[in-house]
Amino acid sequence: MRWRRILLSRFFIVPAVLLLGTGAWNVYVDLHAHGLLEGRVVDPAGKPVAGATVILSVHDFVTQVEKARTRTDSAGRFRFDDNPSHLIQLQAQDGTEASPRVTIRLWFRGQDRVVQEPLRLAPSA
Amino acid sequence: MRKLWWRHAALIVISVIMLAPFYWLLKTAITSENIYEYPPHLLPVRPQLFNFVDVWYLIPFPRYLFNSIVVSLIAVAGNLVLNAMAGFALTLPFVGRRSVIVLLLSCTLIPFQATIIPAYLITAHLGLLNSYLGLALPLLSTIVCIFIFKASFDAVPRSLIDAARIDGLGEMRILLRVMLPLSTPAIATNIVLSFIWSWNNFLWPLIITRSQDMQTLPLGLARFLSYMEDTTDALYAFVVMVLAPGLLVFLMAQSAFMRGLTTGATKG
Repeated sequence: MRWRRILLSRFFIVPAVLLLGTGAWNVYVDLHAHGLLEGRVVDPAGKPVAGATVILSVHDFVTQVEKARTRTDSAGRFRFDDNPSHLIQLQAQDGTEASPRVTIRLWFRGQDRVVQEPLRLAPSA
Repeated sequence: MRKLWWRHAALIVISVIMLAPFYWLLKTAITSENIYEYPPHLLPVRPQLFNFVDVWYLIPFPRYLFNSIVVSLIAVAGNLVLNAMAGFALTLPFVGRRSVIVLLLSCTLIPFQATIIPAYLITAHLGLLNSYLGLALPLLSTIVCIFIFKASFDAVPRSLIDAARIDGLGEMRILLRVMLPLSTPAIATNIVLSFIWSWNNFLWPLIITRSQDMQTLPLGLARFLSYMEDTTDALYAFVVMVLAPGLLVFLMAQSAFMRGLTTGATKG
């Protein structure tokens, strides 16, 4: 009876719910933090661009450091396997054309993400 | 009835005024609005929680959080044990009891800043600088909380204590088996006050910590403020994250806390 009262009190339930939530979140993070980042690069007309260079920069309040580069395949797709951060910027370049820098915010470091909006190349100014 | 309505309306207005800064804090934390924007938005525009993620990763927040939790737990445990014993001792008759009470009460008039150098020297002599126990040391026992326990113990009927003595219980067992179970509001008040004081303590950790690994959340907040001065949204997210545990503890123990503060107020 005494244990039942303790188990039903808010002093037990609130910390227990917090611990359970934290545990579940950590499991989710562990299962989805491989650093995979995928997307597409298109030209101003919306056609996929093969062989474009995509630059991944890690961004924080003070600095922005380039971490990786990759090239798009024949379908204009790119993929990074080792994104280390939760706050990144992507930019595509192809010859004289470049896309604007796109900031991507993730819920945790290395979160797997498919970028839905393609990086759209435009003539550099 | 009409009079009561006005009273409630006045209380609601006062509550809104008092809660407005907290609302603004939360609103700024979940948006990326410029707080100097005019006219300001009353409701959050495009709310998001990424500022909290930034704070978690861009500074050693988990380390600060862990340090604050450890120090607060030590302070709460110390307060419960030492204050309960001191409060119980002050309810017992002994020579000079009145003088001790007067001395303790007069000590509450001395600000902590005035005693900080001797406190530092004592902590240094004990070899506790830059340690969790050292961080919690000045808050291991607080006079206000001793008197909260004393008031609560004074409200316990004397006949109950006499009956326990006749049954052969020693003083420590009377405290543990009779006094404390009847003083849960005082225990809750002690937990809330010592937790919040320890959680918000800034000056003492600033003085006795030597490494960043031992810093607590208030120090982390000051460091964050000096390091990233133009990131108001993340700063406010940090403030919310510092405030949240204290608020949670207070809300959980709120009713017992109020009872604890008023125990003994109507005695006699």
